[in-house]
Amino acid sequence: MTSTQVLGADDFVPRRPTRRLWRGGLQGSEYAWALAFVVPYIALFLAFVAYPVVFGAWLGHKPELYVELYDDPLYLQAVTNTILYVGIGVNLKMFGALLLSGYFMRRSWWTKSLLLVFVLPWAVPALPSFISIHWMLNGQWGLLNNFLWTVFDVDGPGWIETSRGLALGSVIFSHIWKWMPFWTVILLAGRMAIPQDLYEAAEVDGATGLRRFAFVTFPLLANLYLVCTLLSTIFTLGDFNSVYFVSGGGPALSTHVLATLGIRDAFEVARPDLGVATVLSALPLMIPLVLVLMRKLRSTEVSL
Amino acid sequence: MRYPSRRSVLRGSLAVAAASTFARPYIARAQAKTAKVLWVQGFVKEEDEAFKKMVEDYQKASGNTIDYSLIPFGPAMQKIVAGLTSGDAPDVMFHDIADNSVVPQNAWNDKLEDVGAVVDSQKAKFHPTALRASVYFNNVSKQRHAYYVPVKIGVLPFHVWGSMVTKAGFKLSDAPTTWDAFWDFFKPMQKKLRESVRGVYVHGLQPTTTGPADGNNTFHHFLIANGGYGILTEDGQPHVNDPQVKEAVIKSLTYISTSYKEGYVPPGALSWNDADDNNAFHAKQIVMDLDGTISTEVAMFHEKEKYDDVVTMQHPNDNFGKPMHAQFGVAGCFMPKGAKGAQVGKEFLTYVIQPEVQNNYLKTGLGRWLPTMPDLVKSDPFWLKEDPHRTAYATIGMINPTVPNYPVFNPGYAEANAQQVWGLAVADIVKNNMTPQASAEKALKRIGDILAKYPVAQS
Repeated sequence: MTSTQVLGADDFVPRRPTRRLWRGGLQGSEYAWALAFVVPYIALFLAFVAYPVVFGAWLGHKPELYVELYDDPLYLQAVTNTILYVGIGVNLKMFGALLLSGYFMRRSWWTKSLLLVFVLPWAVPALPSFISIHWMLNGQWGLLNNFLWTVFDVDGPGWIETSRGLALGSVIFSHIWKWMPFWTVILLAGRMAIPQDLYEAAEVDGATGLRRFAFVTFPLLANLYLVCTLLSTIFTLGDFNSVYFVSGGGPALSTHVLATLGIRDAFEVARPDLGVATVLSALPLMIPLVLVLMRKLRSTEVSL
Repeated sequence: MRYPSRRSVLRGSLAVAAASTFARPYIARAQAKTAKVLWVQGFVKEEDEAFKKMVEDYQKASGNTIDYSLIPFGPAMQKIVAGLTSGDAPDVMFHDIADNSVVPQNAWNDKLEDVGAVVDSQKAKFHPTALRASVYFNNVSKQRHAYYVPVKIGVLPFHVWGSMVTKAGFKLSDAPTTWDAFWDFFKPMQKKLRESVRGVYVHGLQPTTTGPADGNNTFHHFLIANGGYGILTEDGQPHVNDPQVKEAVIKSLTYISTSYKEGYVPPGALSWNDADDNNAFHAKQIVMDLDGTISTEVAMFHEKEKYDDVVTMQHPNDNFGKPMHAQFGVAGCFMPKGAKGAQVGKEFLTYVIQPEVQNNYLKTGLGRWLPTMPDLVKSDPFWLKEDPHRTAYATIGMINPTVPNYPVFNPGYAEANAQQVWGLAVADIVKNNMTPQASAEKALKRIGDILAKYPVAQS
């Protein structure tokens, strides 16, 4: 008995060989050239991105490291300091930047000149700036206390040497001083992108001053402000320089944040695994922030 | 015969190039007889010049090459830790405080090369304390091995501005001969000096948590003066519950914190790093300082008036009237286990610790560090006769009784040092209003907890 196989229309469509699909449709030397171009990138990515991340994760993978961290009173204090530093530092900085960006919208020539001076802290290198602040705040021979003594005959406090509150405050102040100009310029650019006719329409409707800000400027800047705040939070969570070079984590190790404590554990205590674990412990906070940021950046309803 | 295609030639060439990338360094290193050396930069330029001269002489004598990096104190430690962690460390590493930090812990983890043959080449000549500081416990073999080659020695003398003491109306020759009384002797000077100078303090005490070394060194000398050296014994066993130790800790914390609270110590000393006390001393903001090596004096070597104004003083007796034991810092070299340049590295180290080589190296470095061999100090007038600073310094280190740093006995103490437990204990008293008793108990418990992670077998 014979059977007849009925062929469907699909069977006559020519199929691309699997091998060609895998090669992205490239043929012969095209494929070799494509490989030649992509291999250096892959090699660099593996060497300088994938390997350090995997090595770091491997160093800090043991659960007992996190138990050890939890038992260390310095770690818990560093977590508190990180929350205070990021929470206060970022929000004060961004709110100040929002207000100042409005001020710098003025068109007078001297406002433009002032803007130039205002962005200088951001433009100068970070390390010399923070080291200078460290020396200025020195209780014995620093510029600030010498000024207080010479002008007011007052012995100033040990800003970064004796009090945790003053030292952490000094670190937060230094961070704001350094980074507020940058975010001011970003928000200024955002404000400048708001169409002028919206303001004119608002003015016709009687919205001026604070109402204009509340009903026109802020709704249009809100998304940019949120994205900037998220970005700044992520940057500040990993910020090492401000704390290390201004207070050095002192007095009595009381102003360490996770970034500086991680370096201390890795190199001063000579426990790189513990140092990596300290830094990795910020991931539960960092990952949601990155996810929210990515969603915001993908959003199609961007105000500006 | 099959002719090669263009593709096969390209493929073959790439394979050869890739293989040679991996093969070439090994062949080159094996033939070149080179050792990579990491050395810590000196405090004065003369120290670096002395090191370069020593390397040059070795290269001429041996035909080997020393590929060295001179790196500042702090970054050098970071490079060492990173190198040992990643497995890409230089063949020979030197650090001023390696006996107190990185060597005990890496010896414990079996990450260091045994350098017993190098140490043995001068075994009979080494100071006994230096020799003791060359051996560390390995937690894999459960034995002690020589992992550290002593190159130079540092102890803590007192550095005093003679002119400030005179200006205050006192004479150093009247200084008492026991520990606490000696420190007390300076207190009345502060009031007199402040009549004409603002912000001057008498005590260069370092109740700091910044470190890495000075705060711990200061406390340990108080601990020894109060009879508490036995907190950790030579067998590596802790004695944090010993009443004598506890009493010594309380007395030491009480003295340091009281001096701070009464205003005899600059307030910023809580955050001083190892250079800040030197800076304060050079700025004449403190009258005296207990600090390691004679770097304080050597830094002013070319300013004769200032150099001569400083008086380098030996330790008084301990608080029981017995001779004080100075804690003995050994700066030295170590090698990562299985170092490719191990053979050349060991040859280089054997050369470095030869008495004449070592002595020339340290003398060219202005005598900031002491030789590891007492006979050198006694036979060369440079150390005990030609300069009053060196005389006092060398007497403390080479003539008077000494003890090794605690981490030599148990690597856990290196972690305790790095955690700055004693600085935090003083801070608990002066900042958090804790009593010395409560602070001592907290610190001793912390040290006990850390040492419990390093159960050194009885040996």
